[in-house]
Amino acid sequence: MAKTPRYPNPEFWRYKDHMDLKAQAENLKEVFGIFKDMYKEADKKAFFQNQIRKIKDDGQRVKREFKEIKAMSATEKVDLLVNGEKKLGLLYRKGDMATVRREWRGVKDTAYDFAAWLRLWGMLLLSFSHDLIPALNGLFYYRWYVSYFCCHGWADKSTMGLRGSQLRLTHMAIYEMFRYVAENLTLLSKCDEKNGNCTELNKKFVCFDEMTMGQIMGGFPDLLGMPHQLLPVFLVSELDQLTCIPYIDAVESFGLPSDTCPVPTSECGALVLDALPHMGCCFLSSSMPCDGSTMASSYFGRRFPDTPVFHLCFPVRYYDEETVQMGAEDIRACIKFIEDVTGAKWNWDAYFEQIKRFNEETTYELQKWEINKSAYPQFIGPMYELFRKWNYEMDGGADPRTLKAMRKMNKLLLKAYDRKEEPYPGKMKYRALVWSCPAHYYANFSNWAANCWGINVLVEMESLNFTKMLETEDKEEALRDLARLYERMVMRRHTNGGYQNVVDELWRQCEDWNAPMVIMYQNVACKNMATVQGILDEQGRARNIDMIWVEHDLMDPRTVSRRTMRDKVSQFMRTVKQAEPLDESLVDFEDEICM
Amino acid sequence: MKDLKHLIYFEKLLENADNELVKQAQADGQLCMGYTCFHIPEVLLNVDNCFSVRLRAPKTGSIDIATYYMSNYSCEFSRALLERAIEGGYQFLDALIGVDACSMMNRSMEHFEILQVNSKPKFFVTHTDMPYKITDYTLESYVKQMRLRVLDRMTEVYGVDTSDAAIRKAVEQHNEVCSIINEMMEMRKADNPVITGYEFHVIDLVTYVCPKALILPYLRETLEELRERKPDKKPQFRARVAVIGSEIDDPQLTELIESCGALVVSDRYCFGSTPGRDIIKLKDDEDALTQICLQYMEASECPRYISDEKVLQRRETSDRLAREYRADGIIYEQMKYCDYWGFERALASHVVAEDYGWPVLSIDRLYNNGNSGQLRTRVQAFVESLEIKRIHKEEGDK
Repeated sequence: MAKTPRYPNPEFWRYKDHMDLKAQAENLKEVFGIFKDMYKEADKKAFFQNQIRKIKDDGQRVKREFKEIKAMSATEKVDLLVNGEKKLGLLYRKGDMATVRREWRGVKDTAYDFAAWLRLWGMLLLSFSHDLIPALNGLFYYRWYVSYFCCHGWADKSTMGLRGSQLRLTHMAIYEMFRYVAENLTLLSKCDEKNGNCTELNKKFVCFDEMTMGQIMGGFPDLLGMPHQLLPVFLVSELDQLTCIPYIDAVESFGLPSDTCPVPTSECGALVLDALPHMGCCFLSSSMPCDGSTMASSYFGRRFPDTPVFHLCFPVRYYDEETVQMGAEDIRACIKFIEDVTGAKWNWDAYFEQIKRFNEETTYELQKWEINKSAYPQFIGPMYELFRKWNYEMDGGADPRTLKAMRKMNKLLLKAYDRKEEPYPGKMKYRALVWSCPAHYYANFSNWAANCWGINVLVEMESLNFTKMLETEDKEEALRDLARLYERMVMRRHTNGGYQNVVDELWRQCEDWNAPMVIMYQNVACKNMATVQGILDEQGRARNIDMIWVEHDLMDPRTVSRRTMRDKVSQFMRTVKQAEPLDESLVDFEDEICM
Repeated sequence: MKDLKHLIYFEKLLENADNELVKQAQADGQLCMGYTCFHIPEVLLNVDNCFSVRLRAPKTGSIDIATYYMSNYSCEFSRALLERAIEGGYQFLDALIGVDACSMMNRSMEHFEILQVNSKPKFFVTHTDMPYKITDYTLESYVKQMRLRVLDRMTEVYGVDTSDAAIRKAVEQHNEVCSIINEMMEMRKADNPVITGYEFHVIDLVTYVCPKALILPYLRETLEELRERKPDKKPQFRARVAVIGSEIDDPQLTELIESCGALVVSDRYCFGSTPGRDIIKLKDDEDALTQICLQYMEASECPRYISDEKVLQRRETSDRLAREYRADGIIYEQMKYCDYWGFERALASHVVAEDYGWPVLSIDRLYNNGNSGQLRTRVQAFVESLEIKRIHKEEGDK
């Protein structure tokens, strides 16, 4: 049996960096100059007063918590010890960028949580140590880079209220995603011309649009493929709600209207501010998932005119089988383009190997669906959705370690189902679906909904993608299947190709998942979704489905804040459902600058 | 200048989507094919007993109901069409030929189906998939879409003859309209043109919204009139501008620009003459449909074509038109909420200014602009800046 290749190719780490030390010194000088100016201009008195206030506030909080525990009955104390705390809103404090402390989940789960926390740190250090200097140096070039330091805080927020197997599943998913992030951040820094400037690796580095799926790189095992804007824009905006604001402002000052989708807007803004690394030997742009994203490629071309670009363009009316061949031909042309630019040769065996892994991962995904459709859903909430999205779009079977982790997760999932565990113990009141694209700046919104109101999000629209087992023998059919897969990428699967894919599909899924409630995200700038809002509203009412419309602006929390988003749900629950919150402390709290 | 004989009649034809000539053609048993986008080769809808009408929503007022269905963040053109459809304004159509090129227009057309705005028993809406770049396989797909989703549907539902011969016949008529418009375009290159931008806009628009056979006699007569027309001794305009951008079917916008002292000499926008009124050149030994599709792909200036050569083509076209028509500056305009032109305008207006040296006014606008004070102020300021530039140049030359 052939040995499974290691991922990423260990060869990549061995290539030598060519850092321009003089330029690095100049950059450091500039950065420290900025720090110096900031220090000079900072109101130090106010800063220290604020720190003292926080210390006092912490003291009072500890006192208050101590008093509360003291006042508890013996049963309550045992419950706290075993099952953890209940008032999660108290973990937030006005003006703080992180929660005041980590959640107490009961002895067993807190111990697991802490171990997972340590494991994540260990993995990050190990990944960055592959090429430490460029990896750390990225901090001095890009403002988005530092936001990754809050990944632990983000993991904490995304696991709030979770217990038992659900907590473990979520941590496993977070680990897999962050390993991808850490390794790719290191490789990105190594390749970036301003930083590691590794010419050998750049010759093997194919950049693609963040909305382009990674499976095509399966046929090029000797090359490195990475979405260009994924780490600097897309993913980091899930971690830090404030990251994209400068990009959006920059490109709007440049002349872009403010009504465009914040994803391509932020990408273009990052180009205007020179916040994207210059790396790779070519770029694969794409026409996906929507009109705005299609247009962002011309901004890339303007910023990096010497980088050869291939525009992957798939048919919009993807259910029309007459269009499939055009998609397949475009993939064939794209493969040829990569071969021409890099000198690498497409390897069918390697591609089929990856797709077999991806197919197996799809079977695990389908099992999750079956379980979540039952009365005992298991892996639910924001991390499930994000993991699915990452696995479907970016990993796509490339990393054998992910498959291994998914096998493990699947075993745990089945055990938890047999034990009829509750992901959020005692909080399973409403079964809901999330439809349309979620706000990046509020990645853990469904976690809040579960903890505060008992709304359990069983699945999100962006998880419900293509599940056909892809062809692994016939080469022509494999190309057609790959085209079908790409055409059904996250978001595009629903928002393109006709209203039936997003409207009729919702009602079908509500029935399938036995979910009479829908959290209907309304990304104010998403034209594909906004243009069906009337019929969704009308048909939802006719079907007696609870539609909770929650406006947001995807990457710009200034338009609709997290608090406003929460208020929309709370108002609906109180007025329409006549419900009371499960955790009053989560109904209203301040997290305007909390990452 | 002396008023054009048919100008008021042309203006009247633009007041309703189902104008006098549309009614007349339908009374004669012809079938009306509605469409909205350059991606659908107009000539294919003029075969046999069919005629094309590019949809507009003249005199649009409130679009509240369409806004309920499509939100206030979507393109006003697509909303205006839906509003008019809900009001019953497109009841006269026999079919609507849709393109899934921009999502908002596609949704607008889908609402035609969902809300059943047309009660004719045989009325149908068809949706077609459009390519993003020009290759042999995208051309093949485009041709297939036009054949299967457009021509074959017309045949299936109405028994229309869509043979190669029928297409070639339609091309002949199309080319006659185009040659008249092209001659008028040439007149705009003169120092003191015999036709204003507004007049041209009105004439050009009627060619999109009226049956070709019925509008041709008026066009021929108007062309003759223009050939004899004497311009005013002193031009009443202070600058010449080329207008580049998204859909404009409202001549009031051109009137507004010209009322600020800028003569519109070139129009590169949807419903404009470039490339919409290009003559179609067909070879006898090749399939007409494929040739037409290829010409439309190559000529298209829609920013949806994202390949590098098309991006460059659009910038080069702006520069070429401004030079050929001797414009002093370029107005880049965009229908508010149009994603394609939103991104294109923002970048291209910088590129055309920085790389090609053109003074540029970059605006986003509503569907109906006739009375926009804000827009008027911006155009006035642009005209003044062009004048100042000219004066500085003249002083520098001395």
